Amino acid sequence: MTLAFLGMNWQTLADAVSLGAIYALMAVGIGLVFGVLRLVNFAYGQLVMAGAYALAFAYDHGWPVSVGILLCFAVVLTLSLLLDRIVFRPLRAHSPAVMLVATFAIAFLLQSIALLWFGPLGKISASLAALNQPVTISGVDIRKIAIVATALAAACLLALVLLLGRTRVGLHMRAAAMDFRTAELLGVRAGRVITAAVLVSGVLAAIVAVMLTVQTPLVTPDFALRDTILVLAGVVLGGMNRLVPATLGGFAIGFASGLLGGALPTNWSQYLPSFLFAAVILVLLVRPGGLFTREGQRAAERV
Amino acid sequence: MRRTAALQLLAPLFLVGVAALIGTLVSTSTETYVINALVNVAIVVALYVFIGNSGVLSFGHISFVAVGAWAAGVLSMPVQEKPAIMPHLASLLRDHAIGNVPSLALAAAVGAAYALVIGLPLMRLSGLGAGIATFGVLEITHNVLRYWETIGPGLNTFSAVPETTGLLQASIGAALAVIVAFAYRRSRFGRLLSATREDAAAARAVGVSVYRQRLVAFVLSGGLAGFAGGLYVHLLPVNTESLYLDIPFLTLAMLLIGGATSLWGAVVGALAVSGVDSFLAEAETGIHVFGQPLNLPAGTRIVVVGAFMALVLILRPAGLTGGRELSFRQLRPLRVLTKFAK
Amino acid sequence: MSLPALAVEGLTVRHGAVTAVRDLSLSVEAGEIVGLIGPNGAGKSSTLHAIMGAVRPAAGAVLVNGVSVVGRRPEDVARRGVALVPEGRRIFAELTVEENLRLGLAGRRRREGVEDDLARVYELFPAVEESLRRKAGTLSGGQQQQLAIARGLVADPEVLLLDEPSLGLAPRVVDLVFQALSAIRDRGLAVLLVEQRAQRTVALADRSHVLSRGELRLTLGPESAGDTEALVSAYLA
Repeated sequence: MTLAFLGMNWQTLADAVSLGAIYALMAVGIGLVFGVLRLVNFAYGQLVMAGAYALAFAYDHGWPVSVGILLCFAVVLTLSLLLDRIVFRPLRAHSPAVMLVATFAIAFLLQSIALLWFGPLGKISASLAALNQPVTISGVDIRKIAIVATALAAACLLALVLLLGRTRVGLHMRAAAMDFRTAELLGVRAGRVITAAVLVSGVLAAIVAVMLTVQTPLVTPDFALRDTILVLAGVVLGGMNRLVPATLGGFAIGFASGLLGGALPTNWSQYLPSFLFAAVILVLLVRPGGLFTREGQRAAERV
Repeated sequence: MRRTAALQLLAPLFLVGVAALIGTLVSTSTETYVINALVNVAIVVALYVFIGNSGVLSFGHISFVAVGAWAAGVLSMPVQEKPAIMPHLASLLRDHAIGNVPSLALAAAVGAAYALVIGLPLMRLSGLGAGIATFGVLEITHNVLRYWETIGPGLNTFSAVPETTGLLQASIGAALAVIVAFAYRRSRFGRLLSATREDAAAARAVGVSVYRQRLVAFVLSGGLAGFAGGLYVHLLPVNTESLYLDIPFLTLAMLLIGGATSLWGAVVGALAVSGVDSFLAEAETGIHVFGQPLNLPAGTRIVVVGAFMALVLILRPAGLTGGRELSFRQLRPLRVLTKFAK
Repeated sequence: MSLPALAVEGLTVRHGAVTAVRDLSLSVEAGEIVGLIGPNGAGKSSTLHAIMGAVRPAAGAVLVNGVSVVGRRPEDVARRGVALVPEGRRIFAELTVEENLRLGLAGRRRREGVEDDLARVYELFPAVEESLRRKAGTLSGGQQQQLAIARGLVADPEVLLLDEPSLGLAPRVVDLVFQALSAIRDRGLAVLLVEQRAQRTVALADRSHVLSRGELRLTLGPESAGDTEALVSAYLA
């Protein structure tokens, strides 16, 4: 009833939740790499884009879905490792601003390579299009993909919590994100920790690529670009320095943009990016540590 | 001392002059590239005034170019053309038109005013925060100009704006930007700001307000960027998309490749990258080089410029952080030139 | 005669134009504590950082059991049996005490014997065992220092480097830390102790080197502990 009053329906709400879930995964992918490398990976969206092209390529050739997904993972992970070796590691010693501009350049580079390779018109990846069909749950129609995406994201986040909390490499990653120098002095393998973070981040990008191509089957060179910009904003909004606030920030911005985009009339929703970015700037000015960080944590970070 | 100072001004001006001279010698179609390169010089010099002197990153400067272009474009379009392109324009803007030079002055004023509004809160930030926040400004400006048809053409293109930015105006404009940037760098403000870039804590300790010095540079740089936007809209029919992600990237690349901390670096970077970019743009449509047909696929230019910029940043980030040694030989000529100008 | 566990020969460390350590030589045998004392900026911490590979020495050699570790990364030096208890403790405040200890295991060379080593560490520092589940940041300064030393010990090192472990601690806690160091020596570790508390260090250590402006000025045995302050200040004046 309240929903109807706000001009929304359950479908919009489910879509908003699933968009939030996908953005949360992207936020984790960006946040993990930032944690160990202090590098804001502007090119994260282009990893997703590359995965989406892999799916489209497989669809084009009539390969089965599983092969397409496998190819998507292979492409994204290979590209992640390449970026790590060629770009991220040489940049480690530099200032965050230099690293941001460099990944900005890489983003453009990858996008232009896609443009060169596949042309501006885009490719179709529709092998999982059936997921766009609605299912009816107690009289409410909800698209399958909304459920699948939300469940998959929840499963990924749970797996990540276990990885970070229960395994040796997870502990080392957390320690490296807090104080890389001391972790190295204790014998933590810096290279292994970075590789692990980059790989996990790549796996998440590949999963996001699969989910996003279901919702947007037309893969163009700027695929996932808008999403990445929004997720980056969400990560800053939540709190860049920590994974949980960053993830919450990613979810919040995906949920908000899904909800408002679906519920507001067009002449309002077209200004959505302005409101979101105005909010980001406001947070940067008022709470530089992020919205979802506790006071004590932020005090500790400043030390 | 005085000779060095004269060189700091004359060397960039000389380059602008050479570019202008080349423009008079080539065919009309190539001349457009030269004019474009000169407008790029104005934009990159505007970037230099803030980024180069303060050491703070800004992705947002193309916002000032955009509002400058909007101000000049909206007001200099002939009154009878306006309803077709901008049907929802506010009546004040719809019923008046101004000439070429006033429109450029207005563009500069609007750019500076917008920079003041943005800078008042944002100049408290630095590092990553400044990078993200200025990117947010770019997003907001793009978004608003794209949909708010009361103040401009929205998604339409600025056709019917008098194309007054020829070789003459572009050269004068670029030279003017260089002179303003030089005068600022030599002024008390410029010297204080670059002191904060070298060591913000030490500058604060002797009573320099980092915030105020950055704000001054931001507003001046916004004014120059707005002015460049005015030149731009009088050069070719722009729209919001032509002032979105490509131009911020390309101009930032020009500044960083040239070397962000010197005016000379800014001008060299703008002309060199514009030159390469123009050549590749031509090659994308098919040209002959030494009798060999060369036909590059669309998108090659950004691949080349992007790869070059990434290489420079990875191997030699000195452009941004100032004055470190070169680590690979290819760029040595550039450094020698930069040294020479200092 | 066996090789010393740690040998530093002709070590010179520069930070840009400043020479922090000049031609320093010292060695530490197993079952021995060597003190390194001197005023702030004397080059004590730089020496430790150079041994760990956190800064690259301009000249000189660092040998662990006779094998050079110069040019190796800190993580590799740690895995050769050198553990550093860093200045300011550098524990991970948001991880639990247990997780901090598990991080110490990263530097171990052998997988087996973890339980035994943990038991021996708990014996030395019962306070650490009592607070395994607590966030390390909630511990008192003295407990954090004990945790930092414990974290170094669980790596099962042959050489233990300590950078001002008594800094900012109450006298009673300093006693506890120094007693623990003595017990660690008895277990056969080679201990290099950087300290500003000259008298206590000289009394505890088998020998103590006085460092000033990066150079070794004076070596004292425990017998000089009574008049250390006078000796040191006379020398450094």
